[in-house]
Amino acid sequence: MAETVNIYFGAMSLLTALGDKTATLDAMSKGVGGLRYSGRFGMNAGVIDGIDAADGATRFETLAVSQLERVLAESGIRLSDSDTQLVLSTTKGDVGLLEGAASSNAIPERAYLYNTAMRIAGRFRCANRPVVISNACISGVSAFVVARDMLINRPLRHAVILGCDVLSEFITSGFASFKSISPNPCRPYDAGRDGLTLGEACGAVVLTTDVNYATRPLVRLTGGAVTNDANHISGPSRTGDGLCYAIEASMRQANVTPSQIGFVNTHGTATLYNDEMESKAVALAGLGGTPLNGVKGYIGHTLGASGVVETIICIEELRRGKIFGTLGYEKQGTSVNVSVSPGEQKIYGARCVKTASGFGGCNASIVLEAGESEQMEQAEPSGKPEPSGKPAAECTKRNVAVAGEYSLPQSEQPFGEFIRAEYKRLGEPNMKFFKMSDLCKAVYIATENLLRNFDLTIYEPARRAIILANSVSSLETDAEHQHIIDRHLPEGASPAVFVYTLPNVAAGEVCIRHKFQGDNTFFIEDADSGLSEEYARHVIADDKADIAICGWCDKLGENWNVNLKLLRIQ
Amino acid sequence: MEQLIQELKEHLIEELNLEEIAPEDIDAEAPLFGDGLGLDSIDALEIILILEKFYGIKLKNSAEAKPIFYSVKTLAEYIMQNRK
Repeated sequence: MAETVNIYFGAMSLLTALGDKTATLDAMSKGVGGLRYSGRFGMNAGVIDGIDAADGATRFETLAVSQLERVLAESGIRLSDSDTQLVLSTTKGDVGLLEGAASSNAIPERAYLYNTAMRIAGRFRCANRPVVISNACISGVSAFVVARDMLINRPLRHAVILGCDVLSEFITSGFASFKSISPNPCRPYDAGRDGLTLGEACGAVVLTTDVNYATRPLVRLTGGAVTNDANHISGPSRTGDGLCYAIEASMRQANVTPSQIGFVNTHGTATLYNDEMESKAVALAGLGGTPLNGVKGYIGHTLGASGVVETIICIEELRRGKIFGTLGYEKQGTSVNVSVSPGEQKIYGARCVKTASGFGGCNASIVLEAGESEQMEQAEPSGKPEPSGKPAAECTKRNVAVAGEYSLPQSEQPFGEFIRAEYKRLGEPNMKFFKMSDLCKAVYIATENLLRNFDLTIYEPARRAIILANSVSSLETDAEHQHIIDRHLPEGASPAVFVYTLPNVAAGEVCIRHKFQGDNTFFIEDADSGLSEEYARHVIADDKADIAICGWCDKLGENWNVNLKLLRIQ
Repeated sequence: MEQLIQELKEHLIEELNLEEIAPEDIDAEAPLFGDGLGLDSIDALEIILILEKFYGIKLKNSAEAKPIFYSVKTLAEYIMQNRK
C-alpha cells in the first residue's frame, strides 16, 4: 500500500549565522546565538558571513549549490537519476536582484524564481524538472509535505529538499513596515518579547524510501499537512484553529497520539501575535504539556528556509534524545500555558512535531519519528495483520471528479478597467477587493465565477483545498515594493504592498472569502506542467480534502492567464 | 478642523484604496475599525504612514494608536495638537 511507504532522512547539510551544521549545533548546545547588529540592514540579524556571489552565480545560488553538493556527495545520490527529485523551497528566492529595477517591465530574467531553480538544477543535470514551492514562511515545512506526497505517488526513490532564503533590503524594509522587528535579539514565547529578528539560512536534506541511503540513527517522516486560518492575510488567527488542524492532521497520518510526541518545535517568531496563536494551537492539539522549543533566538527568522533548517535541527535533537533551549525565553508570555524549554532538556518519546505558520494564513506541520517502523518490526515475526496499520479502506485511492472549470477571459481593455468591470458584474461588494494586488484580484474573480452555483456548504472548511501555480510569482508587486524602497522615503515601505509580495496570498484571499481551511500550496513553474492539478488530485485521492481548486494564475502588466479547475471527491 | 477632516477622509480613501467610498460616506465620528469601512491591522499601519507622510507625526508605539485611531475626528484632533 502506498501509504505504508517508509520515508527516511538521509544526508543533511545546513548553513546559518552560526556556521555549518556542526558549528550551529555546537553553539546551540552551549546556548550561544548568532544574532548581531547589522550595519547594512540597520537592525539585528542572523547573517551568514563569508559567502559571496561566485563564478557568475548569485549569492543565493552559491549558497544553494554548496549545500546541495554536500548532501549529494555524502549520500551518493545523483539528481541526474530519473528516480530522484529536487524540491526547492523559498519565500523570496533571489528577490534582491530587483534592486534598481524600477518598473515591472524591467524585471530581470534572473529574478524569476523558476529560472533560479533551473540554473541550480542545471549544475547537477537534474533528470526531473525541479519542483519549486513558494508558500511564504511555511515554504520549508511545506516542501516536506509535498516531497512526501511525491515519494508516495510518483515513481521516485529519493527527493532532495532545498530551503534557502537570503536577506536583502527588500525583506528587511518589508518586515520593518509591519513594525514586527524587535530592537533586540528576538525572545520567542517570553513575556517581554517584542518582535522578530530576521536571519538567512540554507539547508539541504535527502529524503529516501531506500533504507540503505538513510543516515543513522534512523529518523522517518511519518506525516505532514498544510492548512489555512481563513482569517486574515497577515494577522495570525486569534484561536489557533488553523495550526491546530495541521498538527492534528499530521499526527493522524503518522498514526500517533499527543502522548507519543516527545517535543514540539514551533515557528516561534517572537512576535506578540504569532507566539500567542501558536500556544493556543499547540494546547488545542493536546500538546500543551509536551516540551516545546523554538530556535529563532539563535539563528533568526530565516523565512522559508526555516522549515528545512529547523527540521534538520529537530532530527539531530531526536537523535540526541535531548532538545536545545529556547534562547531568549525566560518567563511564560502567552495566555495559554505551553511547556517552553528554557534550556537543554532530555526528552521522552521518539517523535517530534515541527510546525510553521506564515502570511496568507497558512500553517504546516510534520511528524518526525526516530527508529525503525513499528509496523515492520511487528509484521515480520508474527505474520499477523498490522495492529497499528490503517484500515484497508483508508489505503485505497479515492476517485476524483472535475466539478467545474473557469478561465479568466482576455480583453481589449487594460487590466484595471477589465477587472473592475468583472467585479461589478459579480454584484457582491467586498471592501477588501480594491486593496488586493492584481494577481489576487485575478484569482479572486476567477474563483467567484468557478464557484458560482456550486454548493460548498456540504464540504467541511478543513476539507477544502486550493493548490495554485504560476511563473511570475508575485513579481509585479515585488517590483512595486522595490520601487518604494528605492526611493528611500522617510516613512518607509508600505505594509499594504509588502503583504502582497507573496504569491500564496492569492490563495489566502480565496481561503478567507470561501472558508477554505485545508491544503493551500503554491508552486512556481516556467509554464503549466499540470503540477498543481496532479498535487490537488493526490490531496483528494489520499483523503486530505474533499474538494480542491487548482490551476494556473499568471498576471504581469497587461498579460494575464488564469485557468482554474474545481476538483471534488466522486 | 472641518477642512482637516475633509482632507483626512481624502487621504484615507486614496491611501487605503477605499475605491467605492466617497468622503461624504464616511461619518467623522463613527468608529474607523470594525464593520463600517472594513479596515484591519494593515490599514492601521498605513494610517501610521499617513500621519508621518502628510503631517510629520511619528507615533511612538502602536499601543498609543488605539484611542487616536478611533474615528476620523479623533485622528484630526490628534493631528491638530501634534502636527509639525
